Amino acid sequence: MTLLSLRGIRKSFGAVDVLHGVDLSVAAGEVVGLVGDNGAGKSTLMKTITGIYRADTGSIEFDGKDILALDPGQRRRLGIEMIYQDLSLAKQQDVASNIFLGREPTKKLLGLVPGFVDKSEMDRQAAKMIERLGAHLPSINRSVGSFSGGQQQTVAIARALTFNPKLVIMDEPTAALAVREVQSVLDLIRRLRSEGIAVILISHRLNDVLSVTDRIVVLRHGRADADLVTANTNMNEVVSRIVGGGDTAAAAAHEQRG
Amino acid sequence: MISHFLKINRFTLAVGVALAFSAVGVAKAEDGEYGVLMKTLANPFWGAMAQGVADGAKEAGVKYFQQAAESDQAAEPQLNLCNTMLERKPVAMITAAINSTNLLPCLKSAQEAGIKIVDLDNNLDQAVLDKEGVKVTFHIGSDNIAAGAQGAEYLANKLGKDAKGPVLVIEGLSGNITGEKRAKGFADKLKELAPGLEIVASLPGDWDRGKAASIATDTLTAHPDLVAIFCANDGMALGAVESVYAAGKGSQVTIIGVDGNVDAVKSIKEGRLNASVAQLPYLVGKQAVENVKKALGGEKVPESIAVPTLVLTKDVLDAGKEPMLQYVK
Amino acid sequence: MASETTQPGFWARVQRASVERLHIRLESLVVLLALSTAMALLSPYFLSLSNFLNILLATSTIGVLAIAATFVIGSGGLDLSLGSVMGLAGVAGAFVAVNLGWPSVFAVIACILAGGIAGYINGQLVTRAFVPAFIVTLGMLGLARGLALVISKGRAIYGLPPEIVYIGQGRPFGVPMPVIIFVLTAIVAHAVLAYTRFGRHTLALGDSEGAARAAGIRVEHHRRIIYTLSGALAGLAGLLFTARVNAGDPTAGINYELTAITAAIIGGTNLFGGRASILGTMIGALIMGVLQNGLTLLAVQSYYQQMAIGAVLILAVFIDQYQVRKESRV
Repeated sequence: MTLLSLRGIRKSFGAVDVLHGVDLSVAAGEVVGLVGDNGAGKSTLMKTITGIYRADTGSIEFDGKDILALDPGQRRRLGIEMIYQDLSLAKQQDVASNIFLGREPTKKLLGLVPGFVDKSEMDRQAAKMIERLGAHLPSINRSVGSFSGGQQQTVAIARALTFNPKLVIMDEPTAALAVREVQSVLDLIRRLRSEGIAVILISHRLNDVLSVTDRIVVLRHGRADADLVTANTNMNEVVSRIVGGGDTAAAAAHEQRG
Repeated sequence: MISHFLKINRFTLAVGVALAFSAVGVAKAEDGEYGVLMKTLANPFWGAMAQGVADGAKEAGVKYFQQAAESDQAAEPQLNLCNTMLERKPVAMITAAINSTNLLPCLKSAQEAGIKIVDLDNNLDQAVLDKEGVKVTFHIGSDNIAAGAQGAEYLANKLGKDAKGPVLVIEGLSGNITGEKRAKGFADKLKELAPGLEIVASLPGDWDRGKAASIATDTLTAHPDLVAIFCANDGMALGAVESVYAAGKGSQVTIIGVDGNVDAVKSIKEGRLNASVAQLPYLVGKQAVENVKKALGGEKVPESIAVPTLVLTKDVLDAGKEPMLQYVK
Repeated sequence: MASETTQPGFWARVQRASVERLHIRLESLVVLLALSTAMALLSPYFLSLSNFLNILLATSTIGVLAIAATFVIGSGGLDLSLGSVMGLAGVAGAFVAVNLGWPSVFAVIACILAGGIAGYINGQLVTRAFVPAFIVTLGMLGLARGLALVISKGRAIYGLPPEIVYIGQGRPFGVPMPVIIFVLTAIVAHAVLAYTRFGRHTLALGDSEGAARAAGIRVEHHRRIIYTLSGALAGLAGLLFTARVNAGDPTAGINYELTAITAAIIGGTNLFGGRASILGTMIGALIMGVLQNGLTLLAVQSYYQQMAIGAVLILAVFIDQYQVRKESRV
């Protein structure tokens, strides 16, 4: 069953055309790798899915609904979450504030005045989520800026998973992590798949992509240039599609080591 | 352990700052103290008045404490200062209000507390006081209309009563009664004595030297044959002097200021500024204290005390014979 | 250090509770109390109900402006036009009441509306024209001041109706009206900033605009609301000023924006956004108020008072930076 379907997405910034009509579909519970060289348009494409950017032309359907006109908040409510490479955390706020940013539960003050944030409920759920991820944070009441990179990543992941998403987009989630932390992120992706949550994984680390995805889409010059089933492909082919043919053995070998 | 040290240090620092600044003037209030509230002290005029207050208080043997707002436009901060000063329970409040209404709430409280109120330098408007029911013991200051008129007399004498030509007037801050009176006194008297001298512009210079300089430059461009500039205070006159000399018209334009402050006296001695109608702020401050003492002692004091003004020119200063010169500080 | 984190001492626990529940740093409260104690010891006139009300009264106008500054700075913005907009609003109110002779309620509306419109224009320019807030509000500083002088023809507008004067000089139950208005405004503003979604989004926005955007917060819309709110609060401050001195004074509020920003910073607001609390700002404003009041009672010349406030500002930020560094080190 198709969860997300993009057709003919175009996006330009002024005179610079970034996306030239991208088609992409993701099924429920599927893990799709999105790879491509720098400047191929990966980040732009993801931001048109989350709604940060509005596509110039084309259609985006999610869960059978046309979501082209929706803003990021509305798309989030439908179940599209993204973990940004920079994590997009508010560093001076605490864990719960980050997880619930934009979706804070409210209560009535003294049972009368509505609109007050239910901080204790937020703290409780945040602690539960962090525990579910099996992660350890020094304190959930500290500003996230005081945490290590891996701990901050945990908060960003917790934020993406707290509201039962249907699709999680991860932009270079392993780029800044130690080896052990990388494995736990890959395990997490497998766990999401087993729970029926679709994942789009953007990564330069092709080993990670090959080991965890069902399908790999190669973005090249603003187009979905190749759509490969992971089980039927290999490093060599992926690299050659990324750089656009030619003798790629040396590059592939480099990646293999890498 | 470092954090422990700094914890203590934080308290000490905070208290230390308070103490350091308090130590500058720890003065225990005494009975029968006068409160003196100036507009500002960032001006030689108010400095001279403060000196007069100090000397007057010393001679009369009275205690006083003095505050001033940070600028002569800080109407609300001055009201706050006034309210706070009342907490020291002075017997009299000698106030130079920034405008005719800003201190009224404080003066009302002072009146209720039985504190005598003195309007220093005529900043309060009797009509407003009557309406608000505030009774001032006396107003004291120079007669600003007379000061303006003296400026016109000087100009008519210097140029002759048949003189012709354009004249520029630079007023004070818009809406300030002192500047208005000086400008009006000058204009009325000039019309009477030398009708050929025509006031081509009368603009507010906001008591600002730089602004007055720009006005003078602009007016010289429009009226290259300008013969005189009258400014409602010396600061602005000195600004005008710079513009006039920069335009190379020092000998053509007669410039008159009001106040007689040290900078102006220096400029007159150097032969740049032609004249300043000296308000004798030193004398105003001194007489204010003397008269408050009289009033507190039950003597009758006139409701309005006019302290004379004196036209300072190079001749007067060089001769040094004028007895009132001793009050020009 | 390690033992301190696993088993926080009493002081640390009180500190944390105050930050979490009340959104203030305890240090600023300690400084305020220490200063007050010092003043009480030095001057026999300091410790009295009337002097306490005096301090609050003297803080009221600047305090309302400081609330505005806290919201704007907390959201990562800056409003340098606060003082000028306050002057404009006061003149607008006085113009409506005196020159037009309309009922007082319209004068009150005029003050807040004039401020709100100026703030709305700031917000539009910042979010739509991509001109930095510093430049936009610096421009508005000149525009609003100039407009105030034009409307008033450069002269203060005197003779306000008694209802307006009551707002500035009335004393129901012995408490000055500006104090009542100021305290109520502060309570509402504190609740909004600390405990509502609007307030949390404001701080998140100041912390990281990207994070706020990614979280689905309508960033530009939110900024426009903040600037409009800031202007409207400046309008309220203008009303208080005008009512206190019984004149729509076009020169009202010169440099007040800097004092308001100072109060916010002393109170623990991060100048670059993301951390702010109204209660903290109120403590900052009171530190300045107590300092000025106490030094005046001690007959210390006002020039030294300005130096003292400058010193406290630098000291407050020093302490704050030390705290932040310490926290991120643990």
